[in-house]
Amino acid sequence: MDEFFFEVVEITQSVWDGILFGSTYALIGIGFTLIFGAMGKLNMAYAGAAIAGAYVGLAVSMLFDAPIILVFVASALVSTMMGYLIYQTCFRFIPTHNHLAALMASVGGLFLIDEVIVHATRGSPLNFPAIFEDAYFEMGPFGIRGDLLFVFFIGLVSTVVLLYVLFRTRLGIATRAVAQQDVAAQLCGINVHNTNSITFSIAGLLGGIAGAMTAAAVGVLSPVMILPLTIKGLIVTVIGGLGSIPGAIIAGLFVGGLENLFLYVRGIDERDMYVVALLFIFLVFRPNGLFSKTITRD
Amino acid sequence: MDFYLNLINTIGIHTMLGLSAYLLLQTGQLSLAQAGFFAVGAYTAAILTVIFQWNIIPAVLAAMLLAGFLAFLVGFPALRVKGLMLVVATIAFSEFVRMFFYNLKWRVTRDGEEIGPDGTMGFAEIRYFSDNGWSNLDVTLFLWTFVIIIMVVVWWSDNTRAGAVLRAVGEDELAASSVGINLTIIKVSAMTVGGFIAGLSGGLYAHQVTSLDHHSFTVLLGTFAIAYPILGGLSNVFGTLVAVIFIQGLLVEGLRFIGDWRMILFGLLIVLAMNFKPLGLFDKQTVSMVKRAMRLKT
Repeated sequence: MDEFFFEVVEITQSVWDGILFGSTYALIGIGFTLIFGAMGKLNMAYAGAAIAGAYVGLAVSMLFDAPIILVFVASALVSTMMGYLIYQTCFRFIPTHNHLAALMASVGGLFLIDEVIVHATRGSPLNFPAIFEDAYFEMGPFGIRGDLLFVFFIGLVSTVVLLYVLFRTRLGIATRAVAQQDVAAQLCGINVHNTNSITFSIAGLLGGIAGAMTAAAVGVLSPVMILPLTIKGLIVTVIGGLGSIPGAIIAGLFVGGLENLFLYVRGIDERDMYVVALLFIFLVFRPNGLFSKTITRD
Repeated sequence: MDFYLNLINTIGIHTMLGLSAYLLLQTGQLSLAQAGFFAVGAYTAAILTVIFQWNIIPAVLAAMLLAGFLAFLVGFPALRVKGLMLVVATIAFSEFVRMFFYNLKWRVTRDGEEIGPDGTMGFAEIRYFSDNGWSNLDVTLFLWTFVIIIMVVVWWSDNTRAGAVLRAVGEDELAASSVGINLTIIKVSAMTVGGFIAGLSGGLYAHQVTSLDHHSFTVLLGTFAIAYPILGGLSNVFGTLVAVIFIQGLLVEGLRFIGDWRMILFGLLIVLAMNFKPLGLFDKQTVSMVKRAMRLKT
């Protein structure tokens, strides 16, 4: 009986930790979904920009020996700029209807970012400072990691700010207008390219936060994190529904929790297989994801 | 000499991989699953020659049929998923296949030594060519026989009604179905044939490199598979060949001139190519320019 109770506690602990960590997946998912909602295209370089931002943030903290919070702020700012750059180089000049070229260009951007990181760091992983790493709250048999709680909190704040910007500011209206129907938005005097650049920058900001948070939670920063983050982000976006922000949030937490459950039950080798199988189940039963687009035409 | 033969072999295999994605791209299905079918072909052919001691030709053909059958099965659910969601679904499929082979352990003892796929350690000792006294030149000729056959088949398809039907489905599904084209049959057939070609090239690849590691079958390979036809242009088979020669030549030979920077240049080149020639290097304009130039000379 004690054994069973122990198992239940362990499983609940894993799932709970996973949900907290899943807030990073939620942020990446929101980033992908924002860009898809606005332009109908996938930005494959997105996770690359997020991790690159984390690297620069780390470099800044190593150069200036600044407080940890500066690392996260710097990462977010750098990723914002990279998001803007990626728009200008990979999406702006390619005709809107040409999805293949934009996808390929962003893949090229991903290769470029990955290689620059590998070159700059000579391929070795770097230690990333954690916030509140010593904080650990006990609640009966369960423990809550302080750093994961902080990650979740930052994710929550970012999402609330994003939703405020999208639904209560003129910039938000412009973004949603371009997402719905870009020709009509242009006729209303909205500069589509400027609005898209800002969308990419906002997505970059979220990505930078997510990248820094992921690195802080794991403790290590390495270019090999880019590909799994991209794939998980895409899975979260699709499960949540392309173009839906609440979908991305819920799917991110959901995937995070389930991922840890799979890890506990089947181990690290098979964990990702089950996450992928989860995606297939969703594609069979709900191909449009949990929610269909909310920031474009319903 | 061996070095160049190796390069020529790699170009051949990647050309076939590119052509398998080429047919699918013509029907408008952006599939990154080719790496998955490639992996299935590779492991199947290797298992057949190593564990079951089959001759190379039936092994490779059986691998081709199995990969094609798998592609046929994938083709149906792929119909439900449109556009960029198919990208995510096929990425997930490729990752699933890769992880399946990562976990596959099937060791057989023969003549006192253990052979067969060894789970996370990969699949080494695929020594069919060396065991049977094939020289490097023999391998290259054997491989390229298949490459030329596939290129002829695809070129033939492009210049007959088959190619026109594929392109019609790719350009406008509604218009195509209104002239009586059965979308399901065409799209699933394209996926199946793509699977055949990818499986064939995988089977040849396994024997050429003599040892398989799951790292070779990541999403990166799938990305390369679609990069070749997109960069080369979807209107011509030779576009894909030129793109493969260019990219592989750059990645391998570029080591001499630009050293480690070649990967950075690679990403940059893709971004530039997509901005200046979004329809690929050998798009319709270029092809007709080349044809006109050739006619003027004769």
